[in-house]
Amino acid sequence: MKNNIKELRNKLHITQEELAKKAKVRRETIIFLEQNKYNPSLQLAHDVAEALKTTIDKLFQF
Amino acid sequence: MSNKQYQKIRLVITVIIAIIFGQSIVLGNYIIPIITLIIASLVLLLLRRKVKDIISDERDMTLGGKSALLAIQIYSWVAVIAMLILYASRNINPSYEPIGMTLAYSTCLLMFIYSIIFRFYNKETFSKNKKKYIIFVIILAIFIAFFSIRFFSGEDNWICKDGQWIKHGNPSFDIPSIECK
Repeated sequence: MKNNIKELRNKLHITQEELAKKAKVRRETIIFLEQNKYNPSLQLAHDVAEALKTTIDKLFQF
Repeated sequence: MSNKQYQKIRLVITVIIAIIFGQSIVLGNYIIPIITLIIASLVLLLLRRKVKDIISDERDMTLGGKSALLAIQIYSWVAVIAMLILYASRNINPSYEPIGMTLAYSTCLLMFIYSIIFRFYNKETFSKNKKKYIIFVIILAIFIAFFSIRFFSGEDNWICKDGQWIKHGNPSFDIPSIECK
């Protein structure tokens, strides 16, 4: 599963730390997500998508 | 309190516990480590509540679960093999038998606890059933305390008195080969 979290985050000028706080996870989790090294739960995918003002289907490519 | 501060305090507390444990075992006192462990757990629990940062998230839980399962599997295999070797070697040294039995029972207890927790998580949602979880932990603590008291009470064991080993109860192993001081 791939995602464009990094691109959207840069577009919104949000740091990894800020995104982590909004998604209620640790910064390391955001790093792993951006590197496509971790498949998030549906809840986390929703929280990240919400923090980046987008939807899950636009954020993650299956 | 930040996560880093909490981690530092936790490290210090862990070191203190290790020192107290080591010293208490050397001195032959087993009550101090239990009291220390309870106090340290409570202190850490209170400090954890004061941390505003996120200490662990779903990734940590996933990794923790996988690591715990693998650790249980490795420990069980090692313990079972060691138990068989020790039990087979009981004729060489009788003290190998209780060590092997302790390993075997500890493996059984570990698997029993694992299966109970697995069933609990499989049926219930933890966050919605905190009361049930607390009751379960209390019952488990009583269960462990009961067996600890039984284990440390000296029942069915050899007791060192006035330079001689005296049979207490019905020990399952022969008189210890080490000198009684």
